[in-house]
Amino acid sequence: MSARAETSARGQPAQATDHDGRDLSTNNADGRDVITNANVVETDALTKRFGDTTVVSNVELRVPRGTAFGYLGPNGAGKTTLIRMLLGLITPTGGRMKLLGLPVPAKRRQALARVGAIVDEPRFHAHMSGRQNLWALAAARELEAHARIDAALERVGLRERADDRVAKYSMGMRQRLGIAACLIADPQLLILDEPMNGLDPAGMFELRGLIRSLVAEGRTVVLSSHLLDEVEKTCDAIAIVDRGTVVLQGRVDELIAESAAILRLECSDPSRAAVLLRLRNDVARVDEEGEALVVQLVGGDPREATAHLVRVLLAAGFDLYRLEPEHGSLEQRFLEITSRLGEAA
Amino acid sequence: MSTVALITRVPIGPRLVRAEILKLVTRRGLMITSLLLTLDATIGTFAILTILHDTDPAHHKLIGGLQHFDDGMYSLTQLATIAAMLIGATGGAGDLAGGFFRNLVATGRPRASLFAARIPGGLSVLLPITAVSYAIAAALSPVAHGSQRTPSTALLIEAGLWFELYITAMFLLALGLASLLGSRATTLGILAGLQLLITPVVQGLHNPGLGAEAVLGIALWRLAPHQILNGAPSGHIGISLAAAISVITAWLLLALGLGAWRTTTRDA
Repeated sequence: MSARAETSARGQPAQATDHDGRDLSTNNADGRDVITNANVVETDALTKRFGDTTVVSNVELRVPRGTAFGYLGPNGAGKTTLIRMLLGLITPTGGRMKLLGLPVPAKRRQALARVGAIVDEPRFHAHMSGRQNLWALAAARELEAHARIDAALERVGLRERADDRVAKYSMGMRQRLGIAACLIADPQLLILDEPMNGLDPAGMFELRGLIRSLVAEGRTVVLSSHLLDEVEKTCDAIAIVDRGTVVLQGRVDELIAESAAILRLECSDPSRAAVLLRLRNDVARVDEEGEALVVQLVGGDPREATAHLVRVLLAAGFDLYRLEPEHGSLEQRFLEITSRLGEAA
Repeated sequence: MSTVALITRVPIGPRLVRAEILKLVTRRGLMITSLLLTLDATIGTFAILTILHDTDPAHHKLIGGLQHFDDGMYSLTQLATIAAMLIGATGGAGDLAGGFFRNLVATGRPRASLFAARIPGGLSVLLPITAVSYAIAAALSPVAHGSQRTPSTALLIEAGLWFELYITAMFLLALGLASLLGSRATTLGILAGLQLLITPVVQGLHNPGLGAEAVLGIALWRLAPHQILNGAPSGHIGISLAAAISVITAWLLLALGLGAWRTTTRDA
């Protein structure tokens, strides 16, 4: 095993080189060090149209280096199309993009030498074994890629089944083989399109751990998904895409903190209390759940709004039995944004 | 060491070409069919001729001799053509059908080099099989000929080269067409129509008229040694050697050009 492969097996991304072994860290056009570039993915006004249908519209995406980045959106939002453009699988209709600080498609070959990707779903030659498929893929990469095959199979837990035909693999095993295929590139950036598809809860848990370990090594993982809960558990930052447009991006914790405050309260005569609260301007929504009311507040300082709401209820003669804030979630934030978009449309 | 282990472990040839070989030789159905169409057909044909001669020597001659060589060349060419088309179509469309092409493109490797690797990769699988089949047929002809005329060494060499050229041309045609269409089944359907329907019909016509010279199979037979023209056109197709070479070149350039163009431009 080469020195570079040993380094990889220890879990540190190797120095960036292209298929021919050229150092990528200094060979970009303006001489900047791509390794230290803050964003591993940058797109400007990236657009893709199929006929009259705009699938991706003026996307401005910034993926920070060394993070797990979730690219979130409902089915048909244009997530896979954007990934396919980044990888050069389809040609954009307009806009610019950079991978690892290198402009693509101009420096596509050098950029993709350090990118591993699963698009749509991992597909392999079913008549070949997992190891043979990786060998065929490694042949398209730098020479050292072959030496990384065993370590990659070991890391995704497929070593015992590596010589079985892929036709015998479950969906979860194919997903893991797809990640192994990414790892043989010793990637600085992994792009995983719906990697949780077909995984059972244990498989999802394992994959989450694997992604976090890759990020801990300094790699960047872009995770496209519509599974909000998994993205929230796995990712540091996200972009939310809807109908081809990125509508929000930022750190997960910050986005959740920005979500509207929600209170769960129990009081006397909850139906009458709900009518009263719905009349107020500082209350966005009131839902009755059994004996409890779930109250979503409108922006502003949630502490101040909560105190005010309590005063109003007590002044109106209601007895207050219980009051607790509900923690915001990515799902809540996502629904807020997408429902707002729906209203706007 | 198995063939697969040899391909993956021993550094022989460019890695992309070895990957193409690996993808083909691990297809058991394809390899068995190709062997049946070439090696086994040759061995089987001569086995049957031997049995016939042993049971009725008055009516069935020995397996060797020029006549049997001529007959054998025709059937071997037809069967090996099918093997060439199968391997060519699989090499051209196999990655697309399996969704593997997308993985390869995503490595950043230029698409043109992915296409180019298919040619030596497929030929490295096909030509050894057909060469061995021909070698068996050629070796038996001068050995067990009895009182029959035997093919000369020069004819055996000339016929062998022509046979490999014919097979190579059919392979390249299938590879280019499959890369263009992205479908192995469609490619095989079109080529079967061309080779098994159009070419024999044109060959069988007494005066096929203008345009018959442009059929690839007919142009290829124009290059065959005159002693093995059992399968050649029976009519009066006047085609010069230069014209035949031009027709073959045009067909192959067109097929490979379109295949390369589609490989570099298609959505992956």
